[in-house]
Amino acid sequence: MSQAEHHIVPIKTLTAVIAVLGVLTIVTVAAAQFDLGSFNVPIALLIATIKASFVISIFMGLKYGNKTNALILAVGLIMVVVFVTFILLDTEFRGDTSATESGTIMQSEQTMPAAESH
Amino acid sequence: MSATAQDASINFLNYDKSLKSWLFTKDHKRIGLMYLVAVSIAFLAGGILALLVRLELLGPGETIMGPDQYNQSFTLHAVLMVFAFIIPAVPAVFGNFVLPLQLGAKDVAFPKLNLASFYIYLIGVVIAMSALLVGRIDGGWTFYAPYSERVGDSILYVTTGVFVMGFSSILTGLNFIVTVHKMRAPGLTWNRLPLFVWSIYATAIVQVLATPVIGITMVLLFLERFLSIGIFDPALGGDPVLFQHFFWFYSHPAVYIMILPAFGIVSDLIGTFSRHRVSGYLFVALSSVAIAFLGFLVWGHHMFVSGQSATSSIVFSLLTYLIGIPTGVKVLNWVTTLYKGSISYKTPMLYALMFLFTFSIGGFTGVMVGVLGIDIHLHDTYFVVAHFHYVMMGGSVIAGLGALHYWWPKMTGRMYNERLGKIAATLVFFGFNLTFFPQFIMGSRGMPRRYYDYLPEFQQMHQLSTYGSWVLGVGLFMILGYLLMSLKTGKKAPSNPWGALTLEWTHTTPLPHPHNFTQTPVVVRGPYDYHLVPEMFENAAEDGSVKSVHDVSQPAS
Amino acid sequence: MASHPLDGHPAHLEHHFVSSEQQFDAAKMGMWLFLITEILLFSGMFVLYTVYRSWHPEVFALVSEVLDWRMGGFNTLVLLASSFTVALGIHYAQKNDNRKLIINLVLTLIFALIFLVVKYFEYTGKFAHGIYPGAAFDPHGIVDGLDYAKYNVPYAAQFFSIYFVMTGIHAFHVIVGIGVFIWITLRASRGEFSAAYYTPVELTGLYWHLVDIIWIFLFPLLYLI
Repeated sequence: MSQAEHHIVPIKTLTAVIAVLGVLTIVTVAAAQFDLGSFNVPIALLIATIKASFVISIFMGLKYGNKTNALILAVGLIMVVVFVTFILLDTEFRGDTSATESGTIMQSEQTMPAAESH
Repeated sequence: MSATAQDASINFLNYDKSLKSWLFTKDHKRIGLMYLVAVSIAFLAGGILALLVRLELLGPGETIMGPDQYNQSFTLHAVLMVFAFIIPAVPAVFGNFVLPLQLGAKDVAFPKLNLASFYIYLIGVVIAMSALLVGRIDGGWTFYAPYSERVGDSILYVTTGVFVMGFSSILTGLNFIVTVHKMRAPGLTWNRLPLFVWSIYATAIVQVLATPVIGITMVLLFLERFLSIGIFDPALGGDPVLFQHFFWFYSHPAVYIMILPAFGIVSDLIGTFSRHRVSGYLFVALSSVAIAFLGFLVWGHHMFVSGQSATSSIVFSLLTYLIGIPTGVKVLNWVTTLYKGSISYKTPMLYALMFLFTFSIGGFTGVMVGVLGIDIHLHDTYFVVAHFHYVMMGGSVIAGLGALHYWWPKMTGRMYNERLGKIAATLVFFGFNLTFFPQFIMGSRGMPRRYYDYLPEFQQMHQLSTYGSWVLGVGLFMILGYLLMSLKTGKKAPSNPWGALTLEWTHTTPLPHPHNFTQTPVVVRGPYDYHLVPEMFENAAEDGSVKSVHDVSQPAS
Repeated sequence: MASHPLDGHPAHLEHHFVSSEQQFDAAKMGMWLFLITEILLFSGMFVLYTVYRSWHPEVFALVSEVLDWRMGGFNTLVLLASSFTVALGIHYAQKNDNRKLIINLVLTLIFALIFLVVKYFEYTGKFAHGIYPGAAFDPHGIVDGLDYAKYNVPYAAQFFSIYFVMTGIHAFHVIVGIGVFIWITLRASRGEFSAAYYTPVELTGLYWHLVDIIWIFLFPLLYLI
């Protein structure tokens, strides 16, 4: 039947992928032993993303399969990005409503002669 | 070939009348009907609560119930209407019944999952409602932390119920997406899909993407109560605004779960009853998908006064305006479709036209409250209450009533009484507007929502609103009455009473058992190609059924 | 291949599908959709992590050293290995080698159990020093000259709440996965799968890989940085 026509991932490929994943795990642990300052998080995330893409494309067969499934995954990931980004838009700027430090409208009003009524 | 001679008198309703055959059915049509019964009960219960809430507000002070019962009544009304009625109503009832038929499929992709989804929904409703036995639920349907973490245990039943109903919603959405992708009949290309299919497809995308987040939110709320994990509770170092973000990440897209299917219904109704190709087909279709995605970018407009950053408020406000574009595209195209169409004012069409009016009001006021400055003034007033009732009731429910009348003959094999249908539609229209329009006025004058009592100056508007609710109630009960009556005394429905062109009308009424189509149809034209086949209607038989010349062709052998 | 689908109707083909291929593609697509719901479910917790980390980076950097990267790293390798054996299992199913399919499924089960055992020791090790999620959080005790009391700082409780919720829900997914693998292994031992029909193995594999991927991200975020 038709399922016999599915792409069969060769054992050689699978073995190569698991080897890469193992090495990358060691790399990420090793990288974490050094303090790279603000690069700590991006490097850890970059390595994790590379690992995940290997699992997705080869182990899960997304590379060989139906493109619709890749689109589904992409849409899901976009939503995760939306979720994180928009919440950070709030949490990173929390309190800016009442921020009246230098350079704000309030202050410029105070320095302007028209605002002498203060 | 496969044409096992089917007995014409055997259909999906009567092939086996035992209760068991219904409860264990995997037939999407029967599941759709079971959903119809379930959501109707939820709608009835929620509606009665709404009538009681309105009655209480007839005068200031205590009218029929105390403040405590009032808080519980509107909370229960909202929970029932949002989670048990309107979210599952259109996708699960009409999506289940109509979607596979419009695709020319034998069933949805995963029939067992479909049935499971129905029972998960029922279990969710039962869990949520068992809260009533445990204690009081108040504080509204939004479960804002930290109040929801401190109030009595009964809220846990509601949130658990919502969590469970979420699974049902996800499974339904997942099922529909796969069905649209994989189960289309030969020749049914994406640009030949009925617009109802497009809208259900867009809805399903939202269901799949948004619902998991309400799931994790309810889990976190649960853990917060039992372990005090300190994520949302400010007393423990948590941030309550985060809860609102999580809640609205789901619940704003959820309003598109409620309204998108209504768009699809209205497209189909307006196309069918104006005998006119829906203009801007591609734009109407893709605007559904656009709304589905844009809907994810605007949740913060519920939180303008929550203390979220001004930066995010500005961004959310700007993005909220964008929603107006695809929505406007739809409304304009519907109106254009009517132009030079030959319109027949059957009951479903009345609801479609009503929708254009009421939904437009709901949509426009939505843009208004999306404006930052105006929202500060109108936030948590009756203006917002009126706005979302114009969208939810004036949009989804009115369109849903249109759909119910439109597909009723296909679902039950019976015609309802057209005259009663028109009278009821009129009552619903006037009752609805009388109920909710005064709420815009008193809201803009500062009447806060959810309040038990009010100043005497608002009494006139409250009274109008309550009178309206009675008219609306009479209209809705009338519909219930004549629809139930039609099951017994209604005329037998012809296979295509409206002369519609989508696939579900090309087969006998009621539909045969076990398969929707004796042979897989091959589609050779678009869903609204009325201009291509004028002779179909000239040659239509007495009962309105259309000969299959030019219609969907079937394999020769 | 030649026959009409309704004639040579294979046992696994459900009535409403035209072909095995349609059924397989539909099932796989449904699984991918399910997987993105899982991703979004976990994304909620990743959002919490991101927000609280950005609010209190120094606290997160300090208290994450409580988590033992050796245990986390070992578990990472264990899960990766289990993903590998699942992929091998599907490979052998596609080649009609039922014996090797079963071997790989059993290996996957063993890896999954090892993961849980390590997790158990991690959790109990934390509990022993009063590191609980939520209100019960009260770090104490001295191990190898390391005084746990120094972790009793504001928002440390949030870190551990997030840690326990994330790894807890992940562990729940591992447990569910074990249940499904037992079922799949039993079906394989009854010879139900072949190159013509291995959909359940494929779908369970997809689920399992996702569980692995979630851990690939959890490990550095919680243990390393």
